[in-house]
Amino acid sequence: MKMKLFSLILLFALLAGCAAPTQAPSATEAPAATEAPAATEAPAVTEAPAATEAPAASTEPIKIGGTYNLTGAMASLDVPASKGSKLAVKEINAAGGVLGRQIDYILYDGKTDSATNGNIATQLVTSDKVVAIVGNTDSDSALAIGPIAQKAGIPYLTAGATSPKLPDQVGDFMFLAPFGDNVQAAAGAEFMWNKLSCKTSWLFWDKGAEYTTLLAKYWRERYEELGGKIVLEDTYTQGDTDFSAQITRLKAQNPMPDCLYVASLQASDAGAIAKQLRDAGITLPMVGGDGYDGPELVGVGGSGAENVYFTTHALISADKGTDKMKAFIKAYNAEYGNDPESAFAALGYDAIYLMADAIKRAGSTDPKAIRDALAATSGFEGVTGTVTYQPGIRVPQKSVTIIAIVNGQYTLGAEVTPEKVPAP
Amino acid sequence: MTQTKKSPTNIQNWITPLFLIISSLLVVTGIKLYAPYNPYVERVIVVLGINIILVVALNLSNGYTGVFSLGHVGFMAIGAYVSSILSLAIETKATNLPDLPAWLAHVQLGFIPSLLIAGFLAAIIAFLIGIPLMRLSGHYVSVATLGFLVIVHIVLINWTQFTRGARTFSGVIQYTNIWWVYFWIVLTIYLVWRIVHSPYGRALIAVREDSIAAQSMGINILRSRLLAFVISAFLTAIGGGLMAHYLTSFSPATFYFTATFNYIIMLVVGGLGSISGSILGTTLVTFLSEILRNAELGMQIGHLKIPAVYGLSQIILSISFVLIVILRRKGLMGDREIDFTWLKRVFPNSPQT
Amino acid sequence: MGSLDYFVQQTMNAFSLGSIYALVAIGLAMVFGILRLINFAHGDLMMVACYIAFFLTTTGLSFIPVLVIAILATTVLGILMERVAYRPVRGAPDVIMLLTSLAVSMFIENVFIMFLSPVPRTFRGVTPKVLDIVNHWGPVNISNINLITIGITAVLFGFLYFFVKRTQLGISMRATSEDLMAAQLVGINIDRVIVTAFILGSSLAGIAGILWAARLGKIDPLMGFIPLLKAFVAAVIGGFGDLAGAVLGAYVLGFAEIFLIGFLPPALSSYRDAFVFLILIIVLLIRPNGILGSTEKEKV
Repeated sequence: MKMKLFSLILLFALLAGCAAPTQAPSATEAPAATEAPAATEAPAVTEAPAATEAPAASTEPIKIGGTYNLTGAMASLDVPASKGSKLAVKEINAAGGVLGRQIDYILYDGKTDSATNGNIATQLVTSDKVVAIVGNTDSDSALAIGPIAQKAGIPYLTAGATSPKLPDQVGDFMFLAPFGDNVQAAAGAEFMWNKLSCKTSWLFWDKGAEYTTLLAKYWRERYEELGGKIVLEDTYTQGDTDFSAQITRLKAQNPMPDCLYVASLQASDAGAIAKQLRDAGITLPMVGGDGYDGPELVGVGGSGAENVYFTTHALISADKGTDKMKAFIKAYNAEYGNDPESAFAALGYDAIYLMADAIKRAGSTDPKAIRDALAATSGFEGVTGTVTYQPGIRVPQKSVTIIAIVNGQYTLGAEVTPEKVPAP
Repeated sequence: MTQTKKSPTNIQNWITPLFLIISSLLVVTGIKLYAPYNPYVERVIVVLGINIILVVALNLSNGYTGVFSLGHVGFMAIGAYVSSILSLAIETKATNLPDLPAWLAHVQLGFIPSLLIAGFLAAIIAFLIGIPLMRLSGHYVSVATLGFLVIVHIVLINWTQFTRGARTFSGVIQYTNIWWVYFWIVLTIYLVWRIVHSPYGRALIAVREDSIAAQSMGINILRSRLLAFVISAFLTAIGGGLMAHYLTSFSPATFYFTATFNYIIMLVVGGLGSISGSILGTTLVTFLSEILRNAELGMQIGHLKIPAVYGLSQIILSISFVLIVILRRKGLMGDREIDFTWLKRVFPNSPQT
Repeated sequence: MGSLDYFVQQTMNAFSLGSIYALVAIGLAMVFGILRLINFAHGDLMMVACYIAFFLTTTGLSFIPVLVIAILATTVLGILMERVAYRPVRGAPDVIMLLTSLAVSMFIENVFIMFLSPVPRTFRGVTPKVLDIVNHWGPVNISNINLITIGITAVLFGFLYFFVKRTQLGISMRATSEDLMAAQLVGINIDRVIVTAFILGSSLAGIAGILWAARLGKIDPLMGFIPLLKAFVAAVIGGFGDLAGAVLGAYVLGFAEIFLIGFLPPALSSYRDAFVFLILIIVLLIRPNGILGSTEKEKV
């Protein structure tokens, strides 16, 4: 008897599983007032009660979702970016908001976990009913959140994820605020070839991260296209602390390459590698990507961080930057008591302003209208540069800033717009 | 000295699993029919369901055999990747995995075949590494299984031809839904329940309690542990496949130490050696995690404004973990199941079926 | 690749790496030897020492007092850990002890992440500049920090070996590690022995932590995990519970890592950690108690 009952239940579940089409959570359903386990409704950023229906009154706050990994492995990049975003929201609200309405920035922590990122995306889209999402600096999280936003028809703008494949992988509601890795890799390669006269190079990259794998790939493609020769290629993995073996292998090269291209995700990795290289007596120029952008590069690298260059989004400098940059640094200091930790703070800031600008141009809070306005962005001036989206392309055209470390200080190496960019 | 488990009575043999199955069926149906429809809650429940499968499978190995494997997430990873590679649409394979060998590149299997193949592959690997490892004891097998996890992780990062290396594996078709998860939960619980309440299961428990005495009784330690380990690996891989087809994107980092610690917490909170405990523990930890995560935003209580504290959920979970291990080391349910023998006292004259 | 210079340099690298692993492994082995407890929080003790050193340095204290206070504080934390978390579970099955130490480790890490940001901080400026100087001896480069690590490891190992073999307390520790009950029966104060083990183990963690951070140049709340894992592997390979074993295992590990990177073709060298763990598993199969571990079977 129990076997029959049991197999009946199993059969039922089996049929239900096969028959049930995958449910697409649509954004216009279920008001947020009903929840089984999660009970809290009051976000701390502003005091708007989340139980209201889709706002018909034009004084209701505009809800924008924030997805950042404030804890976990990506925290060192996301925390500054989230601070930049929150600062932007504060400034915009103080100046009267967008379309006369305040912005309610609902920020959730993704914990650098795919399942949690999926949860917060679903929560923002279905429970909190946001009209747009701004956040993230890494592709893993972007790919966890993107499809959910795409299915719900909510535009998703990543502040710092630079993989150029993202918008095509996810769909037409996904936008990149920063330039793509193919752009910065090409800029790096051209800078090395033209300005530093690097005819031969060493390529060293972090095999344990998507960002560095892509960066190395695009760099290799452009560099070899220019005529450069990679004499030795080596890898390390996220978490490695000792690079002596690979450095020794490099030293055994005869003749030594002209330059070094080192793709690192964390500024502390780049700093450690620079230091160990210099300790081993290798003083060649070392070039990398925006992963280098953080105080730990010089902090950990110490005097070893000389003759280091990297491609990034902007030079955070109170005296050498643009007026917009100076104002940003001042505001950041006033709000948080310290200088922006890295360019990612500026990226988070710009992303919010970009989204606000799109909402303004759309003239409404309809997600589709916002998306279309975003796609039509042309000449938006942010702290990190000017953003323009070519028709159908959701990775912006933006110039690349190359920073050179001189005497432990960040100086402007060059502003490069690459002539040719490898396909994503 | 712990008591030897009483042989379950006729009623307990089937009423507990039946109760669990019926009540969970009601819950699941209720959630599906609950209007207005709430995808966020459904999402939490689906992930919870997959976690239950994983933790119950983990319990089979860690709770019942006394072999504390720290590497089970490695099997989860194998399940996720193998099933995803097999079920990926051919066009997606061409874009994301261009270097696949021809015999894989033109193959696209359905959901169930992919899951089953992944499960069996994990079982075979578990068998192969189990033969040497099950002879070790205590700490050493834990360290060795940890080594297995690291090896799997490294292979995933480096075998870019099949796994895209460290890059996100995306584009997986979202086959998993609440019914599939339910189906596999029922199957898992039934399978594990039957094993545990069978002669094999009793042998396992005997080995766990006192391996030398068990050996002197003629129980083959290696064989019993190996069986539990292999079945546990199979179910864990299925869980991994289900998770992969729900998240639709993941990377090697998804199946590493953070995940390992999370599942261990769920297992320990519930109670090693108790299936009901695993379900309870997983549910508590998952819900607590979500509630705390929402609480992280801070709130307004009357005139008191509590600021946002991100990272709060992890702290509270670690504290709870510490407290449980120190104060109630056997977990909430210990090694007992939900008990229905009190029914016998209430209805002393019921016929036994 | 086959030149002598290359080989010598890689050997020096391996020796340096092995030494720092040894320092961490000895601390771990001290506690395991007595309590059969794998202290997952050992790595976090290293981390705490570094953060204390970091914050003390910002107050302007010079290096030596910073070092002393940091190590003392870490030792106190270790004793506290024993008292609060490990004493209640003494004698419990291995699994419980493992889980307790895991729980303590996670707790410490998460507290640090929450109250001090997860962003890594520079450790430069804490240790005196002289440590950063690199010596060029002919074809070989070796920095002062590595030399000092090798030196400290040798000295500490020698001291501990002497301590364990010759002094009263040390002999009591060895007795306790062999048979807790028998040791109690002959009147050894178990609590004192265990606390001593923790004192030694924690101070070793403190020293190892600061040296590790000095080599690396940065600290973050999760930094203790990797040295812990490596020390784990080292101690298991060499023979858990035996000081000499821990050191041996550490050097085996260091050499394996460096030479696998140095001499494997680049395509395979990223699999080196997999090879290292494979070696671990193989060692465990051939000699379940490690290379120097006892081969006696468990007796009833």
